[in-house]
Amino acid sequence: MPRKDELTVQDLLPLAPVTFHMLLLLSEGERHGYALKREMAKQTKGKLNPGPGVLYGSINKMLEQGLIVESEERPASHLDDERRRYYRITPLGRRVAQAEAMRMRQLVEMAEANLGLPEPA
Amino acid sequence: MTDPLKLYRFLLKLYPARFREEYGTPLEQQFSDEYREAGGGLARLTVWMRTLRDLAISIPLELGRELRQDLRYSVRIYSRRPGMTFLAVAAMALGIGATTGVFSVVNALLLRSLPFRAPERMVQLGVPFVPPETPPAFHAWRRHSDYLEDAAMYSQTEMNLSGAAGSARVKVSETSSNFFSALGREPEIGRSFATDEDVNGKNGVAVISYGLWQQFFGGDPRALGSTIHLNSLPLTVVGIAPPGLDYPAKTAVWTPSVFNLARIPKSGVVWRETFGRLKPGLTLTRAESMFDADREHLSPGVLKQEGVDRVKLIPLREQLAGPVRRASLVLLGAVSFVLLIACANVANLLLTRITERRKELALRASLGASRARLAQQLITESVLLTGLAAAAGMLVAHWAARLATAAQPAQLTTQNYTILDWRVLGFAVGLAVLTGFVFGVLPASLIGRLQPTEDLVRAPSDGSNSRVRRLRSALVALQVALTLVLLGGSIVMGRSFSKMLGADLGYRTDHVITMNVSLAGTRYDKPELRTQYYHDALDRLRKVPGVEAAGGIDALPLATNAFMGIDAELDSSPKAEFSCVMWATTDYFRTMRTAIIAGRDFTSKDQQGAARVAIVNEEFARDAGGSQAVLGHRVKSIFGGSESGVTIVGIAHTVHYHAGPADTPMPILFLPPDQNPYPFMTLVARVHGKTEAYLPIARDAIQSVDRQVPVFDVKTLDQRLAENLARPRFYTTAVLFFGVFGLLLAVIGVYGVASYSILQRTHELGVRIAIGASAQRMRWMLLRQSLLPVSVGMVVGVAGAFGLGQFLQHLLDTAQRVDALTCAIAAAALAAIASLAVWSATQRILRLDPMQVLRAE
Repeated sequence: MPRKDELTVQDLLPLAPVTFHMLLLLSEGERHGYALKREMAKQTKGKLNPGPGVLYGSINKMLEQGLIVESEERPASHLDDERRRYYRITPLGRRVAQAEAMRMRQLVEMAEANLGLPEPA
Repeated sequence: MTDPLKLYRFLLKLYPARFREEYGTPLEQQFSDEYREAGGGLARLTVWMRTLRDLAISIPLELGRELRQDLRYSVRIYSRRPGMTFLAVAAMALGIGATTGVFSVVNALLLRSLPFRAPERMVQLGVPFVPPETPPAFHAWRRHSDYLEDAAMYSQTEMNLSGAAGSARVKVSETSSNFFSALGREPEIGRSFATDEDVNGKNGVAVISYGLWQQFFGGDPRALGSTIHLNSLPLTVVGIAPPGLDYPAKTAVWTPSVFNLARIPKSGVVWRETFGRLKPGLTLTRAESMFDADREHLSPGVLKQEGVDRVKLIPLREQLAGPVRRASLVLLGAVSFVLLIACANVANLLLTRITERRKELALRASLGASRARLAQQLITESVLLTGLAAAAGMLVAHWAARLATAAQPAQLTTQNYTILDWRVLGFAVGLAVLTGFVFGVLPASLIGRLQPTEDLVRAPSDGSNSRVRRLRSALVALQVALTLVLLGGSIVMGRSFSKMLGADLGYRTDHVITMNVSLAGTRYDKPELRTQYYHDALDRLRKVPGVEAAGGIDALPLATNAFMGIDAELDSSPKAEFSCVMWATTDYFRTMRTAIIAGRDFTSKDQQGAARVAIVNEEFARDAGGSQAVLGHRVKSIFGGSESGVTIVGIAHTVHYHAGPADTPMPILFLPPDQNPYPFMTLVARVHGKTEAYLPIARDAIQSVDRQVPVFDVKTLDQRLAENLARPRFYTTAVLFFGVFGLLLAVIGVYGVASYSILQRTHELGVRIAIGASAQRMRWMLLRQSLLPVSVGMVVGVAGAFGLGQFLQHLLDTAQRVDALTCAIAAAALAAIASLAVWSATQRILRLDPMQVLRAE
């Protein structure tokens, strides 16, 4: 198994749905854990709604893999809860999310060619 | 109602330390947010359900992830010190392996369930209890017993089995018809005995063991209904026992003829035994008193007649474990000592490592690792170490169990010593986890004293140093004490064993070959035919080139456990003397080198029709009042019949029938077989040159007399002696090995502490030498200091050795008392070796350059 510092983008694929979604959300801007979870649940209509353990387990793993980092910047003090931790996507995280999206595009193209896909409603 | 956040916080403790520390707060926060937003009632219940599911998924994931990390780190740590790791693993592997191996014996004999129904209620009815000996009376007795639910009777002998598939010598149990139902096991194929099949004329049936069915019939179901011959008597096979059932003592054939033992012609002494199952709810003590009343009712006065105090009910498990039960427990005790010594050693090594790694741990602590996190790492490291040791120990355990099987075979096939048994494996895994955990916790307890900033910049404080030193000294003292106790035990057992080897048995075992012949069930059914056969066989044996002398006896020393006894009435004494009776041929005593100390040996003239003569042994002569009282005197009647009696013509040197101090010599009266030939005989021959080479030649010579007569157990007398000594040799070797191994581990411990102490005090020693102290003086000082915990351990150890010696004496008939000399030898050996170890560890002081030390400072 390659060491962390030798991990290439391809080694990290395919991503778990929760990870991919979090990277997509963080690409829009910094968020704290609970905000990530709520946004994810909203976007997927509740299909992805990780509990605290799974959520922070994934965050922990993403931090170790270098896909995200903890952000030093905090919102204005009247909006901030100092117990919250904010995360930011890294350049590696961005490349990995792109590569995952490409992989999915290829899958979609293959599905379209083989199965034919109806127009989205 | 419990505060939900408190409950959730409690559940968070199930996460591994690092994850909990890192994400405990956001986890709590998210839970409380979700709980608050849910409002009330059903929605909050849903949050709880989701949270529990989340915990169930994420806790194992995080545990696995941190374990993988810790393991990777531990492997890196250990691979940096391969020598130390190997030593620790090897010591633990031997400790865990040997303990597991011995435990497999204890498990098989004392813990594993017997293959019978309600085995815990099964008892052997002690002799000399005699239940009614006719089928109707016996069955009426067992049915109306107020303390037994059921009982069965059996008698076991070795017989010649022959059938279409060949012939073999097998153990046969003649039983009552309810034998299998009393055991609670029915045959696997076919049927057991019908109720009336133990009645004479109906008992021509047999059940064979599963093993015999496989070997003899190749597992062919047509074995049912076929005919086998036991000592030439035909029997029909009606059933095949279930696999693993070979009670009693490796029985291969059961036949319901215990009430008519004369039906199958046989040789040797036979006696009946009875086992039963106690009624439910009855205690052993209560049952014993009822049994006592029953015995007195059935055979009044038998105890007095036999000179026995009381007759006991022996739980079947105890009876099957028999003499090896206590010895196995002693062995388990000894091997646990070794494990403890090994544990103390590994704890010492790990303590050294932890002190060496103080800086690294302080660094990790300053980077935010909590005590719990570091403790988790240390525990993982030690559990990995003991896990590896346990895996390697399984090989040692397998080997130890095989050795034990060779030395003390179990009574039943189902009691075979196996390490692939859930109890044994559980024991091994439990040992590994427990020891690993203890070693992890011990060094981890030191982390409490870790002060990140101070420990990073300074050498550890004097306080924490002396704490480690004290702990290490205590461990050394413990090792020394345990080792001394073990060594004391080893020396005692070793001395007893060498005494046993050097004991005068009353005959010489070298250059003697032995073999058994049985005329039971052959055409030699008349005395004169038997006499002729023995003459012919001995003639052929004597003609084998290289044979110096040959003779025969019906009960060979080292090979016989049952003896025939009589009350011999001498014409010189009004009192009858109890004596064993044996049949020995001319030249038997010469062959065995048993001296005839007075009178004469048997000669070829002592035949049937000649004056009836006998030889007695010294023991007999002593009981009867000395050689003058027996030599030339007559024993009135041997078997209480109208025969004319025999004249004692010689006194033979007393022989020991079993090797070992437990053997008490018996008074024996020897008769020449020509005057009453017995259907069983062990032939012996003294040979020149390589003894083993004569075995096939001698067997062929005897078989050439008559191929129909089975010749079996062809062995040298030395082999029989070795078999006799196998069990004490096994125990002695095992305890000696454990003693030496414990000593080795203790020495490594003492050496380790001494060299570590020098390393720690390099600066102090450098300064002392710089201001004029000589290196030699420093070495003496260190020797004195290092030997202090050794002396403390010795004092405790000597006391323990005395205690153990007394305990051993109670348990093992081969053990002698632990005396002051034994303790002195063990203590001196230990002190000398420990001093040597410390002295060699202090050698590095000679190479110490004070200037360099001071400059480094």
